[in-house]
Amino acid sequence: MIAMGCDIGSLFAKAAILEDDRLRASRIVRTTGNIGREIDALIDATLADAALTRDDLDLLVGAGAGADLVPGASFCENETTCLAAACAYFLPDVRLLIDIGGQSITALLLDDEGEIASLMRNDKCASGSGRFLEMMSRKLLIDITDIDAIVDQATAPVSISNQCAVFAESEAISHVNENETPADILAGICRAVANIVAAQCRRFGLAEHYTLTGGVARFRSVTDRLGDKLSGAHHRFPFDPRLATAIGAALLLDED
Amino acid sequence: MMFAGIDVGSLTAEAVVLRNGDLLAHATMSVLPNPVDSAREVLGRALAEAHAAPAEIRYSISTGYGREKIVDAGLAQENVSEISCHGYGAHCLAPNVRTVIDIGGQDAKVIRLTPEGELQDFVMNDKCAAGTGHFLELMCRALDVTLDELGPLALQSRRPAEMSNRCSIYVETEVIHYLQRGVPKVDVAGGINRSMAERVLALVRRVKWESEVMLTGGVAKNPAVKAELEKMLGVRMRPVKIDPQIIGAYGAARLAQRKGGAS
Repeated sequence: MIAMGCDIGSLFAKAAILEDDRLRASRIVRTTGNIGREIDALIDATLADAALTRDDLDLLVGAGAGADLVPGASFCENETTCLAAACAYFLPDVRLLIDIGGQSITALLLDDEGEIASLMRNDKCASGSGRFLEMMSRKLLIDITDIDAIVDQATAPVSISNQCAVFAESEAISHVNENETPADILAGICRAVANIVAAQCRRFGLAEHYTLTGGVARFRSVTDRLGDKLSGAHHRFPFDPRLATAIGAALLLDED
Repeated sequence: MMFAGIDVGSLTAEAVVLRNGDLLAHATMSVLPNPVDSAREVLGRALAEAHAAPAEIRYSISTGYGREKIVDAGLAQENVSEISCHGYGAHCLAPNVRTVIDIGGQDAKVIRLTPEGELQDFVMNDKCAAGTGHFLELMCRALDVTLDELGPLALQSRRPAEMSNRCSIYVETEVIHYLQRGVPKVDVAGGINRSMAERVLALVRRVKWESEVMLTGGVAKNPAVKAELEKMLGVRMRPVKIDPQIIGAYGAARLAQRKGGAS
């Protein structure tokens, strides 16, 4: 069984090819304008990485905000179902999944069968999202992939009191003007993201085993601080956490 | 007899000098890092404009950020909350006003007044940039127009672009997408101002608002937001006879006159 999951998010499109439970190939591209052509190119490039053609695919599943734009998809599935599937398959002990995406924060509480028992999704406000972190690092002229290396140099993290991304950005700029170091400012921002995410997930109570997915889960500057807020054991998602939805999509079977 | 009011905000500071109840002079400036320095400078400018010496001010009141420190520094005799100053300023300008909508750079407030101009209730948004002046500034940058140009541009719109988001960051992305798709700038501007008015409306609905309504703060200078709000509320805004950005300082000065003049 060879399946491809294609997750079209607000900022990035991701594709993953699974052969049974083995990740054959994956790609992540930033979407710009011509999304139809970009998805086509993404599918072809990922297939080429795995030395496959479209005919080799038993299943192509679309997911994410732009799921219906995936050409030739066998079916489409919503993001939360995919996340739950990926979590249940690879991390069966996990009961709480928190996905911090480019423009959304999703928390899923899973039951013993891996079904969604309860879910929270915030896609109305940029607070705490990947976009929030990206805005701040850009203001500080720091490449987002360097966040951990920079934050490691922090000595006295600043306090960021605003939750609104726009106001937090002004706050970060005022710290720059007060000659705080980029490391201390960014460390303060990572703590703010952790606080915002933890606050949004608070109603789920405490889970003994949790995992973090989505782009922001790549940064231990955020995940370590979030770990301080969430009790329970953090189970690292076994692949790039940005791929969780795409991988989950590839695990789904066509029920029709 | 002269009285003064000083209002130090998050972005700008204002001072007003009254003589015999009339607005003699006022000054506005961008804030300095220290609110006391802002107060000293802006009061100095207003006094220079009034051709008056500090000693001629019989009583003055400070409001806004650092209002206690401004009193400690000897620049004012008393401090009063910005909500009270704002409400009283609006009441002095138009005694029938019961609801004051003040939209500043970083926050939005709706103040309900009693017929006597006393504070009855208020709601404030300083947590989310949507519905504040900051939102409009961000959108102007995306549209590549000035704040002054935005309102007149929006007024020309016949089919305002629908904004499906509330968050400033996401609306900014929507604005960019609309422009990329070739939606006319006037319609994008119209959509921006409608979105702004909707957020303000949500705040206004949280107090039991009553007519007459006055719109103050920097956003009051945007004719499209004002027109949109008037349409949504079904009332005409009470015109503001002075600069809508100095109402807080004006109210502080009028309170100074009431308190200091009586003593």
